[in-house]
Amino acid sequence: MSMAISRRNFLLATGAVGAAGLLSACGGNTAASSTASSVASAPAASADDSLALTDGPVSMTISWWGGDSRHAAYQNAIKEFESEHDNITIEPTFAAWSGWEEKMAAAFIAGNAQDVCQVNWNWLYNYSADGSKFVDLNTTTNFLDLTQFDQAALDACTVANAQQCVPVSMTGRIFFWNMTTFNKAGITEVPKTLDDLKAAGKAFQEKLGNDYYPMHLGAYDRMILMVFYLESKYGKDWADPITSTLNYSEDEIVEGLNFIKSLVDDHVMMNLKDYYSANSDTATHQSNEWITGKIAGIFEWDSAASKYASALDDDNKDGFTVGEEIKFGDFNGGFSKVSMGLAITKTSQYVAESATLINFLLNEEKGASIMGSECGIPASKAGLAAAQAAGAVKDLVADANSKVMAFTTNKLDPLFENNDLKASGTGIYQEVFDSIDYGDETPESAVSALLEGMEDVGYTIG
Amino acid sequence: MGMKASNKIATFFKYFVLILVGLIMIYPLLWMISATFKDNSEIFAGIGLWIKNPTLDGYRGALNNFGGSINILQAMLNTYSYVLPKVICTVVSACIAAYGFGRFDFPGRKLLFNIMLATLFLPQVVLNVPQYLLYNRFGWLDSPFYLAIWVHCAFATETYFVYQLIQFMRNVPRDLDEAAAIDGCSSFQTLYKVIVPMLGPALVSCALFQFMWSCNDFMGPLLYVSTPGKYPMSLFVKLSMDGDTGFAWNKILALSLISILPQLIVFFCAQDQFVEGISAGAVKG
Repeated sequence: MSMAISRRNFLLATGAVGAAGLLSACGGNTAASSTASSVASAPAASADDSLALTDGPVSMTISWWGGDSRHAAYQNAIKEFESEHDNITIEPTFAAWSGWEEKMAAAFIAGNAQDVCQVNWNWLYNYSADGSKFVDLNTTTNFLDLTQFDQAALDACTVANAQQCVPVSMTGRIFFWNMTTFNKAGITEVPKTLDDLKAAGKAFQEKLGNDYYPMHLGAYDRMILMVFYLESKYGKDWADPITSTLNYSEDEIVEGLNFIKSLVDDHVMMNLKDYYSANSDTATHQSNEWITGKIAGIFEWDSAASKYASALDDDNKDGFTVGEEIKFGDFNGGFSKVSMGLAITKTSQYVAESATLINFLLNEEKGASIMGSECGIPASKAGLAAAQAAGAVKDLVADANSKVMAFTTNKLDPLFENNDLKASGTGIYQEVFDSIDYGDETPESAVSALLEGMEDVGYTIG
Repeated sequence: MGMKASNKIATFFKYFVLILVGLIMIYPLLWMISATFKDNSEIFAGIGLWIKNPTLDGYRGALNNFGGSINILQAMLNTYSYVLPKVICTVVSACIAAYGFGRFDFPGRKLLFNIMLATLFLPQVVLNVPQYLLYNRFGWLDSPFYLAIWVHCAFATETYFVYQLIQFMRNVPRDLDEAAAIDGCSSFQTLYKVIVPMLGPALVSCALFQFMWSCNDFMGPLLYVSTPGKYPMSLFVKLSMDGDTGFAWNKILALSLISILPQLIVFFCAQDQFVEGISAGAVKG
């Protein structure tokens, strides 16, 4: 008898634990969809004067994702910071990007994330859409100088009327060309107009052969270029940056899809079917065509420049060139986005110290010159100046970044990069562009799949 | 004479086919070894083994110690410091649980067995968040002894192995249990004096599988280990993989190669038992 009861209790208990887990797992999503629509423009919070640095020993934590050189930069900067503030010790946690969001999501839910976290921009919406996870940095301005950042960049990090992170760097898409191949095709200047692109397609096909292309774009890249095209034609954001209400009509999107298709038809871009048959789902910079110069252009994040440049073989390496943004219509197309931010978690006991650390990393000469362009080209003006003076900025990336920042005016909405849309292999973007390239759908018939997929992730379609 | 010659030809072809297939099977491993000496553009340029511009950068990079916080040797030690308890706990607890289900008839056995089997179909992603919250309550996150990673194995949570052992146990005649009982063995003594020795190969294959899976486990350590000094190999190998700005594949491959060496050694040592264990349940008799 007693056994039966305890067994039942056991089952009840396990059931309860499971249900709690499911609930908390769903919590993030519900919050995300509810807040997007509830943004008010109340005045920003002012500095909280009760915040003060502690005199006693402080042990705080910081987390980031990245590669070898970023790990080293952060660690060196932290060492420098600790030597300036000898009562503070900082324990870092770091790894590569893969799996990192899952780790941090669990930590945000459990409330034990690090004091200072490097965050991806859409995390603000995914995990703290109600402002419950990150400190409003407007309250920390006694320690963290926000005036070094562009207001537009700061606004992009304002969610639930709170400055939830500072933008470490901004990024956007730009063309990169392999001029070695372009020269072989008799073209000496980077394409600056749509006509240049089409002429390059023709020249490549005639002079170099059918397997040479001026550029290759994967499905997600195509989506971004399509939005770029539409924005430069119609001069409006793809969707409202706060409520994710789509600003384009079905006809306009069909026009965009037709534009991408025309690039494929005119031999400017490789047909996806051909690309997959040679490379399956291998990324462009790892494809034989890119390495050997048969694909001579990409439309990528400015920060990806060094990855693509270093992948080229010796014959092609010198030809890698940052291109110009192309104006397809009357307006400047394309968006810039916050590539990553630094945030302070609400569970932190050391908000003032955390803000001081962020200020050191991004704004102060010592910190910023160590960080250099390891987290992208610094968005902080003082930080950028210090990093450049120290020669710690990659020229190629800086060049690309400055062109992107000078050109793009549009804003990104938080759902654009939703995984259900952009995932390679399973995302809606890929489904749409694949079906057109395989000839299963026309742009006119494919648009409904795109709109349905967007609606499913939370877009409002007018 | 003719017989001998045709025998020789037959043997030649047998070996020829075997060597050919063997080469195809081992080619990826050989490629991996050769790729540790190539740079990125060479790695992606083709699948040949020939190295045009050999470089040792991969191995030099593998010695990176991330500002003194973690190095390859420490990462390997860290890995085995939780893999060993995990393997031992799994084998012991799975064996006891299998003994219970396989040899005893108790009320609710079928239901419990079904529930246990049902957990086999529960994907790990579903468990991540509840488990994380639970271990957070226990204070096991970032525990210096990796408690969150291996303790649950002491409670026969690795259903697959329990199931596998139950199947093996069916082949152990009950007569042996009865004989042991007549000789005065308690049920527990029957287990470790009679059944466990008979299950030897099956237990070895459980241990080997668990060993390999645990060494390869990435998500578990990523969730529950936060101090870089405690990172195991699976995290260490991936530390440099920055998808944004690119990274040197030769380093990743060199690290992978070094990290699989102990596993290869363990596998070769236990190979005979392992193969026997896999095939033991295949034929009844």
